[in-house]
Parts: sequence; structure tokens; C-alpha cells
Amino acid sequence: MIDAYLGPKPQRDRRPLRFLTFGIVTIMAFGLLTSRLAYLQIANGAAYAERAEANRTVEQAITAPRGLIYDSKGRLLVTNVASFAVKITPANLPFSEREDVARRLGGLLGIDASDILTTIDSAPGSRFDPVRVAQDVAETTARVVSESAAELPGVTVVVETRREYPDGPLLAHILGYTGAIDGGALERLKPSGYLADDMIGKAGVEATFEASLRGTYGRQLVERDATGKDVQVLQVLEQAVPGASLTLTIDRTVQREATAALKWGMKAAGLKRGVFIAMNPQTGEILALVSLPTYNNNLFAKGISNSDFQKLLNNKEKPLTNHAVQAHYPPGSTYKLVAGTGGLQDKKITPSTRLRTRGYLTLGSTRFYDWNRRGFGLCDLNCGFGHSSDTYFFQVAGMLGADRLAFWARQYGFGQPTGIDLPGEASGIVPSNQWKMNALGQPMFAGEVYQAGIGQGYDVVTPMQLINAYAALANGGRLYRPQLVKEIVGPDGTVIQPFEPDLIRKMKVSQGTLRAMRLAGRSTVTLRHTYNLVDMPVKVAGKSGTAEFGTRDKKGRLPFHSWFVGFVGKNPYKANFAKTDSELVFLAFAYDSRTKGNAATEIAKAFLQLHFHIKKDYLNRDLLKRGNFYQSN
Amino acid sequence: MRVMRAEPSRFADVTARSVGAVWRAYDLQLTTYAALLGAIGLVMAYTNSVEAGQSVLENGTVFSRALMWSGLAMVVFITVTVFDYRWLKTLRWLLYVTNVGLLLLTLAIGDGVGGSARWVQLGPVTFQFSELAKIVMISVLAAYLGDRESRLDSLWPILGAGLLMVPPWVLVMMQPDLGTSLVLIAILAGMLFMSGASLKWLIAGALATVPAALIGWTYVLRDYQKERILSFLNPVADSQGSNWQVLQSQIAVGSGGLLGTGLTNGSQGRGEFLPVQESDFVFAVLAQELGFIGALVVFLLFAALIWRILMSAWRSRDPFGTLFGAGLASLILFQVFVNVGMVIGILPVTGIPLPFITHGGASLVSIAIGLGVMQSVNIRQHRAEW
Repeated sequence: MIDAYLGPKPQRDRRPLRFLTFGIVTIMAFGLLTSRLAYLQIANGAAYAERAEANRTVEQAITAPRGLIYDSKGRLLVTNVASFAVKITPANLPFSEREDVARRLGGLLGIDASDILTTIDSAPGSRFDPVRVAQDVAETTARVVSESAAELPGVTVVVETRREYPDGPLLAHILGYTGAIDGGALERLKPSGYLADDMIGKAGVEATFEASLRGTYGRQLVERDATGKDVQVLQVLEQAVPGASLTLTIDRTVQREATAALKWGMKAAGLKRGVFIAMNPQTGEILALVSLPTYNNNLFAKGISNSDFQKLLNNKEKPLTNHAVQAHYPPGSTYKLVAGTGGLQDKKITPSTRLRTRGYLTLGSTRFYDWNRRGFGLCDLNCGFGHSSDTYFFQVAGMLGADRLAFWARQYGFGQPTGIDLPGEASGIVPSNQWKMNALGQPMFAGEVYQAGIGQGYDVVTPMQLINAYAALANGGRLYRPQLVKEIVGPDGTVIQPFEPDLIRKMKVSQGTLRAMRLAGRSTVTLRHTYNLVDMPVKVAGKSGTAEFGTRDKKGRLPFHSWFVGFVGKNPYKANFAKTDSELVFLAFAYDSRTKGNAATEIAKAFLQLHFHIKKDYLNRDLLKRGNFYQSN
Repeated sequence: MRVMRAEPSRFADVTARSVGAVWRAYDLQLTTYAALLGAIGLVMAYTNSVEAGQSVLENGTVFSRALMWSGLAMVVFITVTVFDYRWLKTLRWLLYVTNVGLLLLTLAIGDGVGGSARWVQLGPVTFQFSELAKIVMISVLAAYLGDRESRLDSLWPILGAGLLMVPPWVLVMMQPDLGTSLVLIAILAGMLFMSGASLKWLIAGALATVPAALIGWTYVLRDYQKERILSFLNPVADSQGSNWQVLQSQIAVGSGGLLGTGLTNGSQGRGEFLPVQESDFVFAVLAQELGFIGALVVFLLFAALIWRILMSAWRSRDPFGTLFGAGLASLILFQVFVNVGMVIGILPVTGIPLPFITHGGASLVSIAIGLGVMQSVNIRQHRAEW
């Protein structure tokens, strides 16, 4: 009865061989595991223990606070503010979860998942270097991202400092901005301690003085976990040294005056682009440098969005370009300074030599017209320069020839970068026979020499070169390198690098020649060529210019830029231009100004009115009407 | 009819036999080894809790959850021991259908990492029915093959057992859970081998898996699973992705040395270098903190446990008991070998838990059920003849 349920087949074949096999397999399996374990733990235990230790502690850079920037009066132009950044360490982000994480993170941050992936993929560092995918994240967002760490492998939220520019667009072209380092720069700067997720000056003095501003990063030993989260600092190996501060030559007040004057003129005349520069001709210090349209450099400091960046890039007025130094334009009549100086110094003319001016000169069958179709009759230097007679300077240029004209242009600093401490400076073109042979395979034609004499044709200059040339005129022939930085001050307040004027050359020109040219510049005003600058209590000498460019309209007229570059004496209310004591030279450039009057002259006047606090309003608004091509040259 | 035959025996156990006879048949060694392994699992839960910065006895910590599951596992073990295992034979088809149903439910409402469906939320706890499926399939196959003991030299019972395995296997793969599906195959293979099935057919079946594996690689495996296997075969290709865990766990194991760094002192674990230290990579923490000696003790306990299960299987006069033991031993051996092999870098990462020590309620309770059934088989043998 009991046997009935003991099992259907008591004498079962239990297959001892298979049990034995199973047992042997079991023993072999554990034997294999044990031998591997012995290999790892006993044979290589010490090496692995070392690796575990190395795993835990990493040497980490201590970032140094970036140096500050002040204006010449000690006003702070940039600050470092704390902000949250979101970074991803690709090594900690499993490949299979990339898209998922990017999508979730993008949702939290309000940016495109594809942008995040692009940022990661184009990051310059290795897979172990964190990549900054968002900057200046709101605190609440940062907290949410932080708390979602479990679902976002490889993602960390860090507090870092970023630049803030309180004046934004006002000084954007001077200060520039900082941005994430790119691959090329990283490769170049890695030996100097740059990190893959470092910020680096990308434009303006932030870029040119990067080495001073950055400071020296320190080193510390940090215990961290696998997610890259720092657990604790174990030891500081080397303290960080804060960056040095810059004191600019720029005076924010003057910069504001220049901006206001330029904006006023551009609005009144409907201009799209303009430049205003003010400098001290005795030292080469730039007091104001305005290029409009400008941009807000805080956008870059906060990590500009792709759409904002594209908008700036595609704007045809090129707001990211500093038109004062990074672009060159035909100088027009302002260039007559070169022909005049050369004519006097090469003894082709004297200040009192009178040349016959007409409606046009003829070369072969080509007529070269004066802007004044009736001419000025017999004209000396004051008359020729003051009325800006084209036929007068055609003749002077013809006497000099292409190469002497080019020589004097180069003496004034044209055709080469001024060396101002801003990146991307253009060099302009000074046409000579050699230059034209290289460029076009022919020497200069006589007619082209005429054109060169009045700043048309092949010559192009940057506004910075032009003002620097007039600064040399005003100071008696010393061509200085224009400078933006007055002092570099160490973190402890000591001056590391004091300001010193940087002489490019003492011009090979007599004081008499320059005095004659300064007086001729004064006659530009006194002959009322520049309208009512003459009425101002401030006594100005200088030169206006109109430079045709581009293609003719239906009536056969060319669009033109207008220029005015001038200076005042040390005592601006006295008109003694025999002296070389000027401390203010200024330049206004109005791009494509189809106005009745010379918009640049009016902009210069507006600046003088603001700068010298002149109560009376000298702004002649009627003259600034667009659509009329007749103008002063 | 089988029901009728099983019915009287339940009462007969209690009434006809003395407590002493039951006690003699009860395998105390088996229970002891299991209890020791469970205790080591609790110790690992404790050290992981401490390293995660938890105050160990609070609600919801790794340790408190492990305590709860251990308690439950003990209750389950005793209950199942008392329960007459022959009901499993009677109810095999009901068990089978319920099992498939639970796996379907998991697919329908389950949660998991990255879009997978593995866990089902049961009130305050989550449960992985695929763990239970392993034990259920052992029971079903033991009953199925036990009935066909005399015909095992033909192809049909082998094919039938294979077909029985197909639905749960496919459902597990759909979760997708590569690890559990491999365990199911290992159980099937182990049981067929131990049942005495024709070696000729078994070898033919093994060879047939080669084209099946190729098809599986192409159509069934998810990208991340392929990536894991590839990264194992070529560690240099992706030293930070899948292989990161493998490398880190080898560092952890290696740095343990002979005696280990001591409990709660595993730097690898505390630094979170082991991303899932409380689950599949818990052995790495164990090897680091308890060293070679500690790991060897664990191996010996597992080997001893398998030995006792095989002894129970050998002694069983009921082919069900023999086959159940074979399945359970296969499960434990395979899981230990694959999990530890993964941790020490000789096998790819597959996500197979280490019995008793990986923290997971379903795994522990399932093992407890399996051991309970084994003891139930033991105490229902009348004589130890050998």
C-alpha cells in the first residue's frame, strides 16, 4: 500500500554517470572562478589596489578668477558673476542612453536635444572631459536637473563664474567677450593649463589680453566618484593666482558721448553703419571707439543660442565686425593729407604755390572732374585743401607720381595694421606701381595716380589708420601705435605693465610741412567748406571726405561714404594750429550716407557739442536729409 | 486520477510516520548552507546601505528591504517544505498557464530601465515574475519529463520539453531580459542532461542552437545587448561604455587582495564606481571587502549547497524529485558562474543575479521556494537506502 505512492518505479536508473558529470562540471566551474579570482586578487592585487586608489583621487585644476576691466577713470566695465552651468561627461553617458538623456535634458533646459548632441560631439576634449551644454541656467532649473541625476547619467550641474558686461553694447567691440574654447585653441593652449571646458577671450581685449586676464590655475587633489561628482578636496597642491586687471584708455563718458553723437547722426541721416573714434594724439590712447551697429556681448557671455548667433551673422550690416579696425573703406578727400604732405616735403609745391583749378582735367581723352564743376580758379594749399579741390590734388599727385604718393601714405601708417590691441585688424591698401604689378600685372596709370591723390580708386583705409594719420599730423609727426589698455594691474594692486606711448615712427617730414597742413586743415573750417563747424566756440581743424563706392544708380550717381577727421588744440577754444599740443583728435565715418550735407561732419559736431558741454544747439538738422547727392567733399 | 492518488498521502505523512522519520529525511545541511548564504547576502546589504550613506534601519534602505525579504523567504521556505510537493505535479498545467499569464502581465504593466518591462508593482514592493518563472518551469519540466522517464532515449520528450519552454522564454526575451532567458535555457539543458535523455539528441539540439543564435543576434537582441557582448569580446573598443562596469568591477575585485578591505570600506563601492553595486555587481563589493578568503567561503557554500541538492535529487525515488533537484542545481550553478564570471571579467555582462546575495526579493523568494520543494521531496522519501 505504501509502495503504491513511493514512486512508480522504485528500481529507477539514477544515471550515476550523469550525476558524476554534473559534479565534475560544478567543480570545474568553481575551480575556474577561483583561479581567476586568485589571479586578480593575489597575483595582481597590489596593482589593482593602486588603480582603485587612483580611481578615487584625481588631480583637478583650481580655476583662477578672471581679471577685471576698468575704464580710464576707474569705472568697472566687467564683473564675474556666479552662474549655474550644466555639463555632460561623455564617458559617463552610456552610448545607448545618449539620445534619451539628451531629450530629457533638453526638455528641462528648453533647448534642442540635437543641439546637446552636437555640442557633445564637437567638444574639443576627450571623453573624460566634461562638456558644457548649457550656461547661465536658472537656479530652479539647475536644481531640477541636479535632482534628476539618477535619470541623467553623465550630467552634472556646476557653479562657475561667467562674465557680465554692465554696459553691454556700448563697449562690446572694445571688451569683446569670452566663450568656450575650441579645438584648435585647446591644442595650442593645453600646455599652458587650459582645460577642455575652459572659457577663453574670443573678441576685443578679452581676446588680446587673454594671457593677463586669465591668471594661473592651481591644482588640487580631489576625491571624486564615478559620476565625476567631487566628494571632497583632499589637498591643495598649488593655489590659483587670480588674473590681472586691465585699465583701459577708454573713458566711458567719452564713449557714451561718441555713441550718442553717432546714433543721433545715423538716425537723422538714416544711416545703417558708422564709426566714431576719439584719441589722444600725444600718446596714441584711444578715448572712445564706437562701431555701429553693435551687439550685446552679454549674449555671448551667457552662451549664445544658435538662432541668436545666426541672426547676428546674417545681419548685412555686420554688427559683429568692428568697422573701425576690422574693415577698410575708401578714404576720399581725407586722403588729400597724404598728397599735400608729400607735395610740400618733396618740394613739388609750397604752401603759397598757386595751381589753376578747373571743372575737370583731361588725360588723353578722359576727363577727371572736380566735385565743383566750375573750379576755384588759381588756388594755393589753403584754398585747395580747404575747398577740397580735386583738380588741385590731381595735379599734386601727378607731380609726386604713384610711388612717392605711396611712400607718404605709408609714412602716415596706411597700408599696414596700426597694431592696436584688438584682434582681426585689416591693413588697408596703398597702391604703388609695385603693388599694382603684383596685384594686376600692370603699373599705375596716370589717371589712377590722380584718383589715388584724392583717396579714390585703389586706396582703402581703416578708420583707425585714418585717425592715427591725423593724430601724427596734430602731434608734429610722431606716429604712435593706438592703444586701448593703459595699465595692467596685478591681483595685489601693483602695476605690472604701466602705460607707455608706443612710437611706430618719427615721420620723415619737416615741422614746417606739417604746420602748413594743419593750417590748411583749419582753412577747411574757416572757408566754411564744412558748414557751421566754424560757428562753434571750439576751434577745429580737419578734413571732410566723400568716398564713392559700389555701383551707379539709374541717374549715374554712385553711393558714397562720408568722413570727417579733425582735432582741436590743447586749449580747444584757441585756434592756434601752428602748435602741436592737441590732445583730442576725432573721426566720424558714415557708411553709405546719401545725405544733403556731410553726415560725418554733423556727427563730429554733435560729439563736440556733447563733449565740451556746449549749451547752444549747433546741430543743423536740415542738412541731414537723405536722398540728395550734392554734398561737401 | 493522479489527484486521487496524491490526496491520501497528505494525511498519511502526518499520521502514519513519526516526526523522527521526517526529521531524519530532512536535509539539515542544505538548510544550513542556504541560511549562511542568506546571512552573507544580508551582510552585503548592510555594507551597501552604509556606503550609500543610509542609516541602515530606516524604511526603504537596501538593508531594511533585504531584512524584510529574508524574513519572507524564511516563511516561504518553511511553508513550502511542509507543503506536499506532489501537488506541483497535479497542478503543473495550472502553474504553467499562470506563469505565462504573469509574464504577459509583466509585459503589459511592468516597469524597467530604458523602456523595458521587468518589474510589476505590487502595493509597496516590486516583483520580478521572471524569477518565479524559473522555479515554475523547473517544476513543470520535472513533472513533464518525470512522466516520460522511460521514453527519454527518443526525440519526442526532448522536443516536447523544448516546446514547453518556448512561450515563457519568448515572453522573457520580449521584456527584454537576456539574463533570465539564458537561465531558462540552462535549466532546460541541465534537466534534460540529468534526466538521462539521449545524448545523441542533446548534442544535436545543442548544435541546432548555432543557427538559432545567429537568427537571435539579427532579429531578437537589442542594440545595447549586442553592444555589451561586443564590448566584452573587444574591450578596447568601448573602454567607457559597457566595459566601464567590467573594468571597474575587476579593479574592485583585484584591490580586495587576500583579506579584503573590510566591510563598508570598499572604495569602489562608496565612490559609485560600480553603478549597480547592490544588484548584479554585488559580488565585486564582496570580493573587495572580504577578499579572496571571503569569496572562497562563498564559493564553498555554493558548492556545498549544490552538492546537497544533487544528493537530494539522487535519493529521490520519485523522478520528479530527481529532476527538480537537477533543475535547481543547474539554476544555481549557472547563475553563480555567469554572475561571478561577469564580475571578474571572464564573461559578458548579462544581468543575471547572484542567488542569495544580489538584493532582489523575487530572486530570494524563488530560491526559497525551490529549496523548500527540495526539502519537501526529502521528507517525503520513506527510507534512505543508500
